[in-house]
Amino acid sequence: MEHTNKSEILRQGAIIFVFLAVLTGLEFFVAVAIGAVALLAVIALVKVALVMYYYMHIYKLNAQDEQLDRHSFEYKLNTRRLGLWLFLLSDSFVFGGLFVSRFNLLGLTRPDLNQVLGLAVTSVLLLSSFFMNRAESSMAHGDRRGFIIGIVATLILGIGFLAGVLGVEWPNAIKAGVTPSASAAGAIFFMMTGMHAFHVLTGVIFLSIVLRNGSRGIYSPEKHWGVEAAAIYWHFVDVVWIFFYPALYLIGKLI
Amino acid sequence: MKKFLTSALVRGLLWQAIGWLLGALFVTGIRFLMGLNPFDQFFFTEPAWVFGALVGAISFVAGTGAMTDWFKWAKGEETPEHREDPPGWEKYLNVSLDHKVIGIQYTVTALILMCVGGLFAMIFRTELAHSGLQFLTLQEYNTFMSLHGIVMIVGILVGVAGVMNYLVPMMIGADDMSFPRLNAFSFWVVPPAAVLLLSTLALGGFDTGWTGYPPLSVRAPVGMQMFFMGVAVAGWSSILGGLNLIATVLRMRTKGMTAFRMPIFIWAAIATSIITLTATQLIGLAFQLVMFQRLLGMGFFDPAKGGNPILFQHLFWFYSHPAVYVFVLPGLGLISELMPVFVRKPLFGYRFVAMSSLGIALVGFLVWAHHMFTSGMNEYLRVPFMYSTLLVAVPTGVKFFSWIATLWKGKIEAPTPMLFVVGGIVVFLLGGLSGPPNATVATDLHLHDTYWIVGHFHDTMFGGYIFPFFAAIYYWFPKATGKRMNETLGKIHFWLMTPAFLTLTLLMMRVGLLGMRRRVADYDPALGFDNYHLIMTIAGYLIAIAIAIFLYNLYISLRHGETATGNVWNSRSPEWQVPSPMPVHNYDVPFEVVGEPYDYGLPGSAYVRFADGSQSTKH
Repeated sequence: MEHTNKSEILRQGAIIFVFLAVLTGLEFFVAVAIGAVALLAVIALVKVALVMYYYMHIYKLNAQDEQLDRHSFEYKLNTRRLGLWLFLLSDSFVFGGLFVSRFNLLGLTRPDLNQVLGLAVTSVLLLSSFFMNRAESSMAHGDRRGFIIGIVATLILGIGFLAGVLGVEWPNAIKAGVTPSASAAGAIFFMMTGMHAFHVLTGVIFLSIVLRNGSRGIYSPEKHWGVEAAAIYWHFVDVVWIFFYPALYLIGKLI
Repeated sequence: MKKFLTSALVRGLLWQAIGWLLGALFVTGIRFLMGLNPFDQFFFTEPAWVFGALVGAISFVAGTGAMTDWFKWAKGEETPEHREDPPGWEKYLNVSLDHKVIGIQYTVTALILMCVGGLFAMIFRTELAHSGLQFLTLQEYNTFMSLHGIVMIVGILVGVAGVMNYLVPMMIGADDMSFPRLNAFSFWVVPPAAVLLLSTLALGGFDTGWTGYPPLSVRAPVGMQMFFMGVAVAGWSSILGGLNLIATVLRMRTKGMTAFRMPIFIWAAIATSIITLTATQLIGLAFQLVMFQRLLGMGFFDPAKGGNPILFQHLFWFYSHPAVYVFVLPGLGLISELMPVFVRKPLFGYRFVAMSSLGIALVGFLVWAHHMFTSGMNEYLRVPFMYSTLLVAVPTGVKFFSWIATLWKGKIEAPTPMLFVVGGIVVFLLGGLSGPPNATVATDLHLHDTYWIVGHFHDTMFGGYIFPFFAAIYYWFPKATGKRMNETLGKIHFWLMTPAFLTLTLLMMRVGLLGMRRRVADYDPALGFDNYHLIMTIAGYLIAIAIAIFLYNLYISLRHGETATGNVWNSRSPEWQVPSPMPVHNYDVPFEVVGEPYDYGLPGSAYVRFADGSQSTKH
């Protein structure tokens, strides 16, 4: 993986994005046409596996670096990666708890939400992951212009996602009677989207810091842990949404 | 005095007060502009108190300077990797990156919290000495009882973090933790959390017990929210501490220290950290959901809105049962660590003991609903959870078997640490044996709401962590200070506390079996429990006196203790092979692991070899 050149890496990122987009469309179709929950779960797991391997590079945790000096940058970089993944593992228990709570409270029913909007924000977040991967790969190959374009695109899409969920979806839902205090269904909907939006917001702040530092030339192809950490965190937020989207919009009968 | 007033602790407290006030005023102002009622029973309204508490806690940590390096990194500045600590005592009141300083900060905080929690227990134990209400109101009783629970739990969590922080990097030959700044941050969120917990006293208290079950917790006074917030903030300490510890053990071990050549305590620390890293999030989530239910009327646990109160109990116990393994695993690890030193024999079945720690941690994730046999959850869940709970006895039994086999035909010495090790085993055995009746559905239905559970729980906590914690303090005190603790006072401490404690908990179990209900402020004199309760209260006071002797011993040994810079206990462990107290970055000369850790009594065997050729050949 380390020896492939830049255009190959970028092409790979694009191919994975196409796969993810097709799977998302398939997911929507399965939900509308068949409504098979098990199939939706399988599709979500495949999507998560693709993101974790090709975008988050989970295999880098398996670095064989026993022979390296403990105080070298390379060895510490691998330790930092481990620390970040442990944090994500911990964080996934919050989202897992919310996910399980949703099924405990609602079972196989769901609140009536705007399907077009749901698919739209999901696509926006997925596209932002594609640009994030592009930005990181560009930085790894010393292409600062590509990096800045990628990060800016990610930021715009991330803010677009927030605007879509907080600015359009929430008022819409409240108008439709799904409010935080009306029912447990409304409560869990606002809690899940709210907790996720909070993570998107922190990701946006993180990316802004990385953009500022990156445009001042602080990162290099060898040393850009800040960029990599922001990318892994951003993809993690996407992974969470890969589960939350079907859980909120697609699974079960309307209440 | 000036050094104290300018220390990070005082700065943090000041910033917390300012942040709290500004946050509360902000919400009050917004409420005023929106035409909502800006003030309430406790001056500010509940949303104002909550938002202020959040801002205050963040302000505390920012005010201490524990996050300054991160802000600099965000601005793209480089910071030096190490920071010099000031000499003398003030480094303990300031932000330090040294794991030994942080370990001692944690330990002292833990002792303070435990004393506060113990004080609360003494207050309501005195009330219970006689039937009828003497000097507490019902709400006060409930608040003290609830605060005793949570302050002790946070105290033990902090104590666990203290011992692990101090010992783990030294034992594995690392110069510090993997992430020293994160380590400092993990400690510095504890004081604001403690302030939040104690602030409940001023805000109407809370009457739910430390479990905070809705719907009671939805109706309790504002103090309830401070309790939730305090636990959430303290939880971050636990989560990030666990993260740091796992990364440290996986990445910082010295050459030759393969998995099965680690000191046995490291296995326990890893098992504990796996739980704190993951499960802690769910108590945070459960409490957060109740906070939102109170603030915004969200109906998670409100059946009238389609919510489910049982869901709270599932989320809560998914952490809070494994949490007791967070307390006892390091304690049992300390017992296994210290015993071979005082028996001069290898630890029996090292690999099985190591695996039993992981086994308890992993099975611990599958047992939470045994707290809910009487809660009205689905009945078909009862039997699987009964069996998974009984399964915990297997790895725990492995540990007991190992201890007995280690003691067998050993040359047993009994200085104070060993007394606490053996005392811990005895007390934990009582706690362990009184467990299966609670795990079995048929008996638990009768025992669940009685003092039997209180006795069982206190035996597991004391035997599982408090006794080993005292053993660890007596044992590693010379390492930290270069002085020995007074042996006579230590023995008085042990021989006063242990019988008093056994009297207390065995009587708790007895009155429980006879029908004394737990959590209540009063009981019917016709039950005939007055004398039992009087004896229990006297035993409680004896324990308090024993703790006072211990604290005096700490003080007097620190001032006038016998100098002890060498290998006081003839240990093979690497930290004892260098003079005490430990240098700042631990080992000036690196070492390599060349043998098994616990081959006491085997002539010529060595555990570690230092690069300058010296070996640990104690046997």
